[in-house]
Formats: sequence, C-alpha cells, structure tokens
Amino acid sequence: MNWIGLWTLTSREVGRFFSVYRQTILPGLISSALYILIFGFTLQQRIAEINGVPYTLFILPGLIMMNTLTNASSNTASSMLQMKLLQQLPDILTAPLSSLEISLAYIIGGTVRGFVNGTLVLLLGVLLIGLPVSSPIFSLGYIFIVAWTFSSMGLLLGQLADSWDQLAMMQNFFLTPLSFLGGIFYSIKMLPEWAQVLSFFNPIYYMINGIRFTILGISDSPPIISFWMALAMALIFFFSAVALMKSGRKIKL
Amino acid sequence: MTTSAVKIQKLSKSYNGSEALSDINITILDGQFFGLLGPNGAGKSTTINILTGLVRKDSGNIAVFGKDIEKDYRFTRSQIGTAQQELSIDWFFPIEKLLQYQAGYYGISPKNAKERIEELLNRLGLWSKRKSRLRQLSGGMKRRYQLAKALVHDPKIIILDEPTAGIDVELRHELWDYLRQLHQQGKTILLTTHYIEEAELLCEYVSIIHRGKVITEGAPKNLISQMGKAGITVHLTKWDDTLPALLQSYSYTQNKSQLHFTVKDAETEISKIISIISKNGCQIQRVETTKSSLEDVFLSLTGRGINE
Ligand SMILES: Nc1ncnc2c1ncn2[C@@H]1O[C@H](COP(=O)(O)OP(=O)(O)OP(=O)(O)O)[C@@H](O)[C@H]1O
Ligand SMILES: [Mg+2]
Repeated sequence: MNWIGLWTLTSREVGRFFSVYRQTILPGLISSALYILIFGFTLQQRIAEINGVPYTLFILPGLIMMNTLTNASSNTASSMLQMKLLQQLPDILTAPLSSLEISLAYIIGGTVRGFVNGTLVLLLGVLLIGLPVSSPIFSLGYIFIVAWTFSSMGLLLGQLADSWDQLAMMQNFFLTPLSFLGGIFYSIKMLPEWAQVLSFFNPIYYMINGIRFTILGISDSPPIISFWMALAMALIFFFSAVALMKSGRKIKL
Repeated sequence: MTTSAVKIQKLSKSYNGSEALSDINITILDGQFFGLLGPNGAGKSTTINILTGLVRKDSGNIAVFGKDIEKDYRFTRSQIGTAQQELSIDWFFPIEKLLQYQAGYYGISPKNAKERIEELLNRLGLWSKRKSRLRQLSGGMKRRYQLAKALVHDPKIIILDEPTAGIDVELRHELWDYLRQLHQQGKTILLTTHYIEEAELLCEYVSIIHRGKVITEGAPKNLISQMGKAGITVHLTKWDDTLPALLQSYSYTQNKSQLHFTVKDAETEISKIISIISKNGCQIQRVETTKSSLEDVFLSLTGRGINE
C-alpha cells in the first residue's frame, strides 16, 4: 500500500468539501430544519401517529438517511466528474497509486461528508424535537454504512457520467425517487399491496427502516433483514466502484 | 552497456476503430534527451499517455528500466514525472498546496517535500505566486507550474508533452536552459514537439512519427546529413576551365561565377571545397550555406511539412 498517497488523496477529498461547507454542510441542515418545523407545526395536528409515534419523530430517521445518502453520493460523484472535466485526473492516474487506493480515498471522502451530515441532522432532531435515540451506537453505525454505500455508488456514477447533465439525470431519475419511495414520509403499510411489494425491491427502503429501528424502535421491515441489506449494498457498490476504476473503462481512453 | 530507460515495442492503439498508433517501436536510453516529433494528430500524446498510464493500449509492450508498466506500475510510475499537454484547472487549493499533494501521491510526506517544493518554486520563478490558485496564473506560469509538478518527486525520467506550447520566446529559452541542466544532471528526458528548432537544438535523438507510425529515427544531425540536401554556394571572382575536373567528385551546378554544391554534410564539406578551389588559383568572394533541417527530412519522407 502507498499509505502516504492514500492519506494525501483522502485528506484532499475531505478538505475539498470542508473548505466549502456553506455548499456542502449547511444546505442539508437548513432543509432538514425546515422539514421539521413545517411538519412539526402544521401537519402534525392533522396526521395521526404512525405506528404509535408522532409524525415529526417518524420522519426524522428518513431525513437523516436522505441527508446522508445525498451528501455521500454527490461528494464522490461530483468530485470524480469534476476531476475528469478539469483534467485533474491525470495527476492521480499517473502516480503510483492503485485503483483500490484511489477508490478508497474518494469513498472515504464521501463517507465522511455523508456521516457528518447525517449525524448533524440527528443532533438537530435531538435538539429541536427531543428525538429519543434508543441505541445511538447502532444509529451512528447505520449512518456510516449508508454513507459508505452511497459514497461508493456516487463514485460509480461519477465514473459513468460524461457531463453534469448526465450526472444530474442519474440523480434525479434514480436516487431521489428511490429515496422518497423508500418511506421517509410514510409507513409502507399505508400503501396498496402492489406498492408495498415494489418497495421490497428498493434498497433505500431497508436503510430508512433500519435506522428508524435504531432510533425509534419501530420498523416496517425486520431489523435484521434491514441490516443485512444495508451491508450487502455497501459491499456490492464498493466492489463495483473499485472494479470499474480498475478496468479504467470510463476514466482511461 | 547503456541501459534503456524506456522501451516501447510493437505498440498499437485505436480509438473507436480508427487507428492512432500502429506498431510503434521506440527505445530511449538512460540519460538521453529524446524527442518525439510529428505533426498534429501524429500520435505523440497517445504514445506518452499510454506510457504514463492514462490511455489503455491495444497491444504491445512497454518497459521502464526493464520493468513492465502494467505489472510493475508502482515502480515504473515512481520513476516518471509527466507534464501533460492539457493544462489542469483547480480552484480549491493554492499551487504550493497542490505540489504538496502531488508529492504525497508519490509517497513523499509534506515534511520531506517542503524543501524540494521551495527549491522548484524558486527555480521556476513561481515563489511569489505560491499562494495563488491556478486560475490566477498566466499561461506561461501554468506551464512552469506543470513542470514543477512533474519534478516534485525528483523522477529519473521526465516526460514533457509540448512543454513550450503557447510560451513566449524569452521564456522558451529559459525553459530550454533548464531542461539542458536537468539533462546534464543525468535525467532522461522525453519531449514531444512540433517545433523543429526545439527538437534540433535539444534532442540527442529523435523519432519522427506520422499517422501513428515511426517514419524515421536518429540523431538530428545524422538524419539531416543523410538527407544530402545541404547546399553550399561559392561566389568566385576568378576561375578557369580546370575547375570541373577537380570538382568532379561533387554534385554541383555552375552559373558563371556561382557554384552551387549539394552535399550531405555542409560542415565537413565546406572546408574541403574551399581548399580545392583556392589551391587551383581561383579566388573566392564569399561562401553561403543553406542548411536543411528536420523539416526537410519530414518533407522528403511524407511530401508535406510538419506544421502544414
Ligand atoms: N480521446 C480520443 N478519442 C478519439 N480519438 C483520439 C483521442 N485522442 C486522440 N485521438 C486521435 O488519435 C490520433 C493521435 O492523437 P494524438 O493526440 O496522440 O496526437 P498528437 O501527435 O499528440 O497531436 P498534437 O500535436 O496535436 O498534440 C489523432 O487522430 C486523434 O484524433
Ligand atoms: Mg499531443
């Protein structure tokens, strides 16, 4: 392993988003705060409790997941695409770094961003609405796995995309719908049966319900299945991202 | 025995079915100043990019100091420093920081890189710009930054893809001086260019490539003299009829007081010709030489100029 190389590229990736925290950390916090306030003060009176939990508390784990996964995936995706478009990739590709080291550096960068964002929304929930967190260690662990998964997925998308348009399309037509349909705002038990069955094919459904279980102790899917699904996704996306990097198919001509 | 720093064998590459390189063979000796010369689209960058790992080859072998560039990529890449033809853009970090990162990719810690980076920034006239972002630098400064980036890990082989493109004459000469210095320190330098002058002036050995093929190679002087195209024109004030017999071993034309010789190597032939003519009691008014260049070499092989 080229440890110094890995460390350098990783700290560059992390430094990059921390240096622009106004674009990378604040927006997620602000929109989450808005969700909490709007739903908390308006809708809560009209929507009955879900699974015995007040609505604002119910959606919070979903908000944490959404923040974690959008931040994690957009960090790697946009960093990779940007390096491609700005001719920065050659510096890394001509250096004595392995595909695994390069992938790891990107993925760690995105994971840190996803983790920081998810954790901040969790804290926001605790502070604003007194979110009870039943097993904090597991919640943080979940946020980490999900951040890692989507950071890896972002690296996959960033390599595949040739332009910002393409990247935005993949995010808008794929990531956003899946995360909304994963049950952030509702319990899938409120859906018609066919839609419930469809949800089982949505990986984000398991992640949202998994973290919901670690926080509120309630879940649509059995917690153990959620956990294995999250872990499986993390591994699948990680190895696909590394394999694509190794093949060089989208980054080397 | 001189070892080869880079050995490229039977290298071929197509982009989406159109052939960019076909069966290229290039050997660069350790410590050699090597030029890859050719017109736009000849395949210079493609060759270099395959060597440095940016482009995947279709077939062929490349070894750096005897090691395969794919199997032993950690070793081969650490031996090479590259300045790409395309300039990179970065608006996050100052150039000093970027150089530190670059050193880090090569396994050099910031502490160990510090001195080297300072030295390079000073040597390349970028010290006062060390806190600037890349986009705040002029085109020439960006080129110099690129050279600093290529040298930051003190590589044995330096690869420069058109290092003087878009650079003014003064800076170009400074860069040439610097490259000569590096060469004297024992570095192997591979440079691509379509400036004939640059190749003739700097390179000990050139490969001329055209449409993805090496069409000729050799020391610039030898290539030029093999052309047999140098011209020597002698203006006489006095001559007689015995001259043709004395000069019969030369190919020349006479137009009254003017003799025009076509020779292989003007430098060695000129003194011989002068001594033959003056021994014979003829008087020489003046002598002109018309030197041919690598441009003529290219022209004679392809029927067109390099920069046409
Ligand atoms: N990314 C690419 N996709 C498709 N074709 C390419 C690509 N890069 C280069 N080519 C083609 O390969 C051939 C060789 O290009 P290359 O860039 O190696 O030339 P070059 O000798 O460096 O030219 P120049 O002096 O203009 O830099 C050209 O015909 C070019 O169009
Ligand atoms: Mg080129």
